[in-house]
Amino acid sequence: MKMQFWGVRGYVPTPGAEYLRYGGNTCCTALYGAGGELVILDTGTGFCQLGDTLMTREFGRGCGEMTLLITHTYWDHILGLPFPGIVHIPGNRLHLHGPDSTRGSLEMVYNGMLSPVYSPVYGLAHIGATHSFQPISTEPFMVGGMRVSALPLSQRNHSPIWAYRVEEGQRSLVYITDVRYTDDQIWKQALQFAAGANTLVHSAPYTRAEQVQDYGHSRVEDAIELAQEAAVERLMIFHHAQARTDDQLDALVSGYRRQLGEDESPLIFDAAREGDMVDV
Amino acid sequence: MIVRIWGTRGSYPVARAEMLRYGGNTTCVEVRVGDSCIILDAGTGLRQLGEALGREPSPPNTINLLITHTHWDHIIGFPFFAPIFQPQNRLEIYGLQRTQSSLRKTIANALSDPLMPIELEDLRANLSFHEIHEGLEFQLDARVRVCTARANHPYRALAYRVESADAALVFIPDTGPFHTVLFGDERVEWTGTPTANSADDLLALAVMRAQIVDLARGADWLIYDSQFTAAQYARFPHWGHSTATHAREIAEEAGVGQLLLFHHDPHHTDTQIDAMLAEQRAACDSYLNIAAAYEGMELRKEDLP
Repeated sequence: MKMQFWGVRGYVPTPGAEYLRYGGNTCCTALYGAGGELVILDTGTGFCQLGDTLMTREFGRGCGEMTLLITHTYWDHILGLPFPGIVHIPGNRLHLHGPDSTRGSLEMVYNGMLSPVYSPVYGLAHIGATHSFQPISTEPFMVGGMRVSALPLSQRNHSPIWAYRVEEGQRSLVYITDVRYTDDQIWKQALQFAAGANTLVHSAPYTRAEQVQDYGHSRVEDAIELAQEAAVERLMIFHHAQARTDDQLDALVSGYRRQLGEDESPLIFDAAREGDMVDV
Repeated sequence: MIVRIWGTRGSYPVARAEMLRYGGNTTCVEVRVGDSCIILDAGTGLRQLGEALGREPSPPNTINLLITHTHWDHIIGFPFFAPIFQPQNRLEIYGLQRTQSSLRKTIANALSDPLMPIELEDLRANLSFHEIHEGLEFQLDARVRVCTARANHPYRALAYRVESADAALVFIPDTGPFHTVLFGDERVEWTGTPTANSADDLLALAVMRAQIVDLARGADWLIYDSQFTAAQYARFPHWGHSTATHAREIAEEAGVGQLLLFHHDPHHTDTQIDAMLAEQRAACDSYLNIAAAYEGMELRKEDLP
């Protein structure tokens, strides 16, 4: 299983020279299975460029198929969906899985996002590709040779946010975003869910030292502690803050790597960069 | 009047090396007239504008936000605009009146769970919503006059003219041309070949065009939708965007000082936009000055030829 980042920025896209190396598109990660499976985690604006590149493959001819795992429906995780040409080509098949919200099903949320007041698409009915919505549950399911399991990480009064674990053969990837470990219960669940993963992709826009107003994100240190306790091989932080420049991210990565080296931690630590292809 | 351009891109923001010069942020334009601060559209450019306002020695406390319409690329910057979190600020937000949903509700729904974690009531700035319509002329404050017209765009959009004693700017970021498709509240089905317009539709298009030309008449700057090449327009007339040629025709007829190509297509690189601009300059046989709007551009009347 290979993984490629198409959007690693959190909150809002950040075009600009100072963000180019890590990338300014919002959350979207693609998993490529050994059997040709395509699994997409979230559809932030990174999905627009992923979609454009898929045009040259079977999706351009209307015979592509993808599974989309949606963690939750904040803008930076969904707004890219309607733009690429591939979603408007009849014959392509999109299987969306994700949580229902406090205000309606996943399908209703996407449909509302595409309603005429917000989008010239005028609703899901006008997305030309065949699309289906499946409410996510803790029951694992298969996408070809890939096994997908999911875990709800509920937050205060908001709609639930789900984490995903995708396994192929002996390799495993865990994707956790937009969670703040406010109580032991959530921490223990996440720990169990991430146990022994080869790669953990975890949102971590800020460090503990930074005094920022934030709506519910873990800090880099939380992600590192989770990865270490769960015996994860490699941690890749993403959902980078909008003000975080490439140079700042470089400095942040080398700082934590130095610390991990001094602690003789076996954890491989990196910050996700748009375009990077990772062998899970 | 000083005009600063913070976002030029249409449809969705793009973060790519080959698009840095014109910029990847979606539509946002700042207009300053004395102490008055007017912002046209709340695309992702609004975030950097908010940061720049924060660096001013005495930033404006009253901010007038004129929204052409609420498609995502025109509102996506709003929750990242720092002044909305500061109690000393007043935001006067103007947008199209609709029967289906109030402007306040449209913004509130976009910002709250499950799409975002923000409740309008919790914002510390004082927000007022003003629902307006096309064909209006009103005094925004003592220095600034605003006129509106209807743009030809899916679910309708507003076009704005912002006028002070010394200058006039006209802002039409989203409009189709006025000959193939008449947009209203209903979705336009596009089958690949244009269907004949009814006489009523043709008349409505002609009236809309005349009103757009009137709105732009004699303006110093016309910022106008130039998203498509002719080939793109032929394929996607139902998205409600113009070509640079359509933009130039309106600008020439209205006799504006300078036309600024705007709402750049998310697929167009800097080089392609350069080429679109060169093509229009070559095709233009009037005095019209043409530029392509770029992020960071500043417009002052004394710089006009």
